[in-house]
Amino acid sequence: MRQAIADFTHRAADVLVKVAALGLVAMTLIVGWQVFGRYVLNSSPSWSEQAALTLMIWYVTLAAAAGVREGFHIRIVALENAVGEKPRRILRAVSDLIVAACGAAMLVWGGELVLRTWSHTIPSLGLPRGLAYAGVPISGALIVLFALERLLEESHGDTVEDEEDPRWS
Amino acid sequence: MELAILLFVLLACLTIGVPVAFSLLFSSLCCFFVMDIPAVVAFQRLSAGMSIFTLMAIPFFIFAGDLMYRSGIADRLVQIAEAAFGKTRGGLGPVNVGASTLFGAVSGSAIASASAMGSTLMPIMKERGYDGDYMVNVTVTGAVVGLLIPPSHNMIIYSAASGIGVSIGDLFLAGIIPGLLTAILLMVVAWRVAVRRGYPRGVFPGWQMFLRAIIFAVPGLMTAVIIMGGILSGVFTATESSAFAVIYTVIIGMFAYRTLGWTRLVEAATQSVKITAMVLLIIGAASAFGYCLAILEAPSQLANLITSITDNPILVLLIINVILLLLGTFMDMSPLIVITTPILLPVVMGVGVDPVHFGIIMMLNLGIGLVTPPVGSVLFVGSAVGKVPVEDSVKTIWPFYLALIAALMCITFFPALSLSLPQLF
Repeated sequence: MRQAIADFTHRAADVLVKVAALGLVAMTLIVGWQVFGRYVLNSSPSWSEQAALTLMIWYVTLAAAAGVREGFHIRIVALENAVGEKPRRILRAVSDLIVAACGAAMLVWGGELVLRTWSHTIPSLGLPRGLAYAGVPISGALIVLFALERLLEESHGDTVEDEEDPRWS
Repeated sequence: MELAILLFVLLACLTIGVPVAFSLLFSSLCCFFVMDIPAVVAFQRLSAGMSIFTLMAIPFFIFAGDLMYRSGIADRLVQIAEAAFGKTRGGLGPVNVGASTLFGAVSGSAIASASAMGSTLMPIMKERGYDGDYMVNVTVTGAVVGLLIPPSHNMIIYSAASGIGVSIGDLFLAGIIPGLLTAILLMVVAWRVAVRRGYPRGVFPGWQMFLRAIIFAVPGLMTAVIIMGGILSGVFTATESSAFAVIYTVIIGMFAYRTLGWTRLVEAATQSVKITAMVLLIIGAASAFGYCLAILEAPSQLANLITSITDNPILVLLIINVILLLLGTFMDMSPLIVITTPILLPVVMGVGVDPVHFGIIMMLNLGIGLVTPPVGSVLFVGSAVGKVPVEDSVKTIWPFYLALIAALMCITFFPALSLSLPQLF
């Protein structure tokens, strides 16, 4: 059961990153199209800037949630490496709980932000402003899930390997 | 009191190993609760902090740099540098610094530079009898130069964090002379140490090889020309030029270099999106944190504290340099830019320092932090690629630190080094 949860969340994080990567590619094409439109077609599309920006907030929040599961966020590991096995587990547990609390806050108050800004319209896109921010509460829910999953693993004595810092490769 | 809570929670979180973005968010939330401000404001700041058009240049520059790295341009840059400096005694040291400087023009990431130069040059250096510690020292300190050579996504982070829209074009131009100065100082040190250790002379690779390397590297180095030209002529915004750089890199990687297939493209996109998510979440969380600092009037308190000691701009910059160097030893560059810029920039501008000049100081200063223990990501990458323990490389790195500090002092005390190029355009 525990293994199944670990596999599932790992795969979910993988899918999130892949979807986010598509978002990055789409954003590149949109801004590329904007330049093309301005110099070649002589008419700059009015929607492109806001669409690209909305896309970015979405993929950043989703990939950031995946980062909790895969452990690729920048953090200071000096203390963790300096202490023994047992204190290390405690440090990790506290850290996972704090991350989970942040995720819960993103879900609750990020959700409130979405509701409050739903009636505002993004200029030139015609979509509710709240839609642009909807990635925040969704990401928050995922972060809670992923952080608790790590906590579950650690509490059973398994070590959750952090992925290498993505800047390394 | 609230300020003490905010800073204490932040430090406690960072120390126990909570990721930087969540440390910032958690401490801000604590501060919001204590001050009885609705927590939804924190997320309003977080979302607004990420929704800035200029910030889109960050993923684009990271993506373009990563694609360039995967298309194998590093080998050719090394060949160009080798033709120029290879023949002197211990020539591979200066070659390494020169190639890192060229690499800085295709990627603004010091970590990418250290791993690219490390994996191409270290095996050759080892074969010719260079010691492991020397290889790592040259590679990691050389990688810092790339932070100053445009394009540099850290400068965009600085511009966004400044809150006053410091011109990205000016920052890019301002980095060129300080970058070259740092490279020259590092080359001199690399050469002196190599001579003392009696490393061998290299051989000139031949004009044919040299020409071939240049022909191969030109389309890659053109990226920097297109970006700078586009921004300076006003044809592109920084964001548009960076998106264009991605498309251009994909095209030359696939059709000119023919080294970029689908697999590498997908790898580059997933890697870049991870780094982007990490950096932008920190930027978002830091704007919630910055909001707390602002309502607690932290910048003006610090300004009063510093100006009560002195209002001499040189001394103020010296004090701030020391603070940043200390912070840099245990924290990474991009989080430090977003956290400290809103606090320090008003202080230095109050004593008449140009924000562009301060940005360049910050790039090099925090860059030094990337190669100093206990937390120095570039130093760690270099040591890992060279398979040399960090402790061993740090023992002999001090001449290189001295070169970096000397460059930092020159850049701090001679604003003209940074400001004369932007003033020309």
